[in-house]
Amino acid sequence: MDRRSFIKLTAVTGTSAALASCGNPENQLIRFVPAEDIVPGIAVWKPGVCPLCQAGCGLTVRVMDADADVVRNGQAGLVRIAAAKKLEGASDHPVNHGGLCARGQAAIQITYHPDRITQPLKRSGDRGSGRFEAISWDDALGDLARRLDALETAGNQRAVAFLTRPGAGFRQTLIDQFVSRFGAPAPVAYELFGDDVQRQANALSFGRHQVQTLDLANTRYLLGFGADFLGTWNSPVAQGAGYGAMRQGRLGVRGVFVQVEARMSQTGANADEWVAARPGTEGVLALGLAHVMMAEKLVPDSAGRAGAIVAGWSDGLVDYAPDRVERSTGVPAARVERLAREFAATRPAAAIVGGPPLAHSNGLFTALAVNALNALVGSVDQPGGMSFMPQLDTVAAAGLTGSPARQTIERFAADALSGRPAPDVVFIDGVNPVFTAPPAWRVREALDQAAFVVSFGSFLDETSVLADLVLPDHSFLESWSEAVPEAGAGVAVASVAPPVMRPLYDTRATGDVLLDIGRRLRRPLELPWQTFDEMLAASFSALPSATADADAWTDAQAKGVWSGPLPPRLARQTGLASPARRTFSFEAPRFDGDAQQYPFHFLPYPSTAFLDGSLAHLPWLQEMPDPLTSAMWSSWIEINPATAARLRIGDGDVVEVASSQGALQAAAVITPGIAPDVVAMPMGQGHRTFTRYASGRGVNPIEIVAAVTEPATGALAWAATRVRVSRLGPPDSRLVRFAGGMREETEERR
Amino acid sequence: MLPGQPTGVFTTARPTFGAALDDFLNRRPAAQQPIEFPHNIHIGKEIACDFCHEGVARGAVAGLPSIRTCMICHDAIATDRPRIQQIAALRDKGLDLAWQRVYGFSNEDHVRFNHAPHIRAQVDCATCHGNMAEQTVAQRSVEHTMGFCVNCHNERRAPVDCLACHF
Repeated sequence: MDRRSFIKLTAVTGTSAALASCGNPENQLIRFVPAEDIVPGIAVWKPGVCPLCQAGCGLTVRVMDADADVVRNGQAGLVRIAAAKKLEGASDHPVNHGGLCARGQAAIQITYHPDRITQPLKRSGDRGSGRFEAISWDDALGDLARRLDALETAGNQRAVAFLTRPGAGFRQTLIDQFVSRFGAPAPVAYELFGDDVQRQANALSFGRHQVQTLDLANTRYLLGFGADFLGTWNSPVAQGAGYGAMRQGRLGVRGVFVQVEARMSQTGANADEWVAARPGTEGVLALGLAHVMMAEKLVPDSAGRAGAIVAGWSDGLVDYAPDRVERSTGVPAARVERLAREFAATRPAAAIVGGPPLAHSNGLFTALAVNALNALVGSVDQPGGMSFMPQLDTVAAAGLTGSPARQTIERFAADALSGRPAPDVVFIDGVNPVFTAPPAWRVREALDQAAFVVSFGSFLDETSVLADLVLPDHSFLESWSEAVPEAGAGVAVASVAPPVMRPLYDTRATGDVLLDIGRRLRRPLELPWQTFDEMLAASFSALPSATADADAWTDAQAKGVWSGPLPPRLARQTGLASPARRTFSFEAPRFDGDAQQYPFHFLPYPSTAFLDGSLAHLPWLQEMPDPLTSAMWSSWIEINPATAARLRIGDGDVVEVASSQGALQAAAVITPGIAPDVVAMPMGQGHRTFTRYASGRGVNPIEIVAAVTEPATGALAWAATRVRVSRLGPPDSRLVRFAGGMREETEERR
Repeated sequence: MLPGQPTGVFTTARPTFGAALDDFLNRRPAAQQPIEFPHNIHIGKEIACDFCHEGVARGAVAGLPSIRTCMICHDAIATDRPRIQQIAALRDKGLDLAWQRVYGFSNEDHVRFNHAPHIRAQVDCATCHGNMAEQTVAQRSVEHTMGFCVNCHNERRAPVDCLACHF
């Protein structure tokens, strides 16, 4: 084509396109009759429950009219719906008291995500290819029921596996019932940054298999061991409010806060004093403090059961004298003594442990050591200390018996790959172990062994993409939601909320789907409820009413929460049958990788935005600058300035981090808030298939984490991998930062 | 792209160049209503405005009724009239009436209008919308210029600072 005809053609097509687009095509869309009466422009606030972490914060959801694009009978059009538009914290909720973290605020994007799965899907390409075709709910559930029937006929019910999140809510109880009534093994629960080690330690020290609640508001001296309690650990909103009161809520009293950790977290950045102990030796430091306090008779040297299970306690912990502690932890002896005296002299004082210190092969010892320290200063069950919140037993409330058991994902994968009969039908609900488990566990390969994988996910993440059948759940705003928090309040709390809006798509609530499958089987499971909300109604009706003029169920639905004193028969029994018979002493943490070849400790930590990566699909959270580095939309690796200078790595340079498991490339962020022998990397990025916003962005640190575990619980010791770091090249475009370089760096350059 | 997934992502841009140009020039086509709704007959039966425009006393927008509102009465009343049969048939097909707005400010005006305080101040609907008892399909019979608003605000000693109406 010559130049002249090209210009002519451009002019003609441009003009006709402009003419064709005149008018307003929006008004030509047909409108469908709305399903409900909605007064336009009037906002209604309805209760909800935040689904993003175990904290179980209460929501209040702003619902208003909106026009939704829908397709009905093959015809595209508009319909007016009552749509959730904004999430806020519920002001009268005992956990979050009106607060809501940035992640909770972004949860609204789950419902309106453009890559949400809108209808049941059947795999049409190879497994993992991401090719699916539509299938009706009836066909999908019929197909699934036939497969389960076939297993039952063959007497092979144990070939069913159910992968789910840990937790003690009603959804988990329903899953337990579904699995046990069918005759399948206990569900497989996995959470990368779980608190199993903490629970186990609390069971041994205090007889409570539960994560503790902290009364920060009344503490005057807080000693933190790695717990990022203002960012990602336990119940961050409740702890954030308590921390605010501790620092500024009392006239003339500002609680002191010392944080011990090898990498400065968002929480550590708030501390008065930041102490970097060698990874895996935090328990030694805790006992070093206890030694000084006992040797100098600063406290009565009784710590009850929590002290008795620490080896050498009755002898005054002679192995933990300050000079020995200095050799072990790298914290100077004088500093150990000063901290011990300060900690002993201030009342009330509390210590708190969580996160990286427990993610070592000796994590249980570290947790026990900090527990003993708490017991020594008398902070257990005292104002300003730690306590255990009564927790509703969802099994008893639902009128059932038995205590739920869980398998580990490591065992599941090992069994599936060991040549024993592979699982036939695998259900996946709310977990993405292909992304969050170390590659050495071979979860992906284990799932490949399964004949039929069913996912309830709303998005095609790395695990759901392997499914043969996707039965998408409603979003949490479209279905009954509930949570039974384990920590964060002084009284028992059970949150529940009805749907705040009608489902946008052809999805179904997973609880209802499980009950439906149970009825479709040739030998029905005889679950006592028709729908999930019937189960909730029956369970909440068993609770004592909090108000005189309404029963517990009516009241809880209206407020979004039930809380109050719990009758003993409905309280979860968290104690151990018998106290531990052995004592625990420090064992050097076991690391993967030789210290010569791999000189650095590798610390993958929960991202403030994405936690373990399950929220990386929400663009608001991608856009949210990390509180310490201001990085967003990317992966980075944090390196101490002295280390960086030695390795000739500049800020933003591309570096390679290699462990015995593999290598990753990321941009370096030079930051003084990390020990020289540690490099750290946030979890969350590096998704392969997880919506348009997360796929192909950054790297996943878990890919180079070795499968070291804490032996008592089988929990992954995610901080126990050693790496080497080398510079690959100058900065490129892979690191996006909101505020340019680190502030300290900028100051130095001036 | 998975089956059933929406293809577009919401953006605030105009759907077409033409729409953008019309917006820029403040050109609006006359509203085309799906049926010729007789306001005069309904007002003659002494049905209050807020029976159908039910948001008017409570919030920012008065609202255009859905077909469900029509059928509250017309399931039983005047069911033999062709126009009523027409909307009953629409409802049975699951279709709503795609009303078009008659009044309203363009985005560039940066006006935030709220009906409720005007109703509370007992401004008659006719002040801004003309005498609807004389109209069948609603026509734009009053031009909502800034002078029109400010005159009334001055007369009634309502605030006239910019931020009362503009954002």
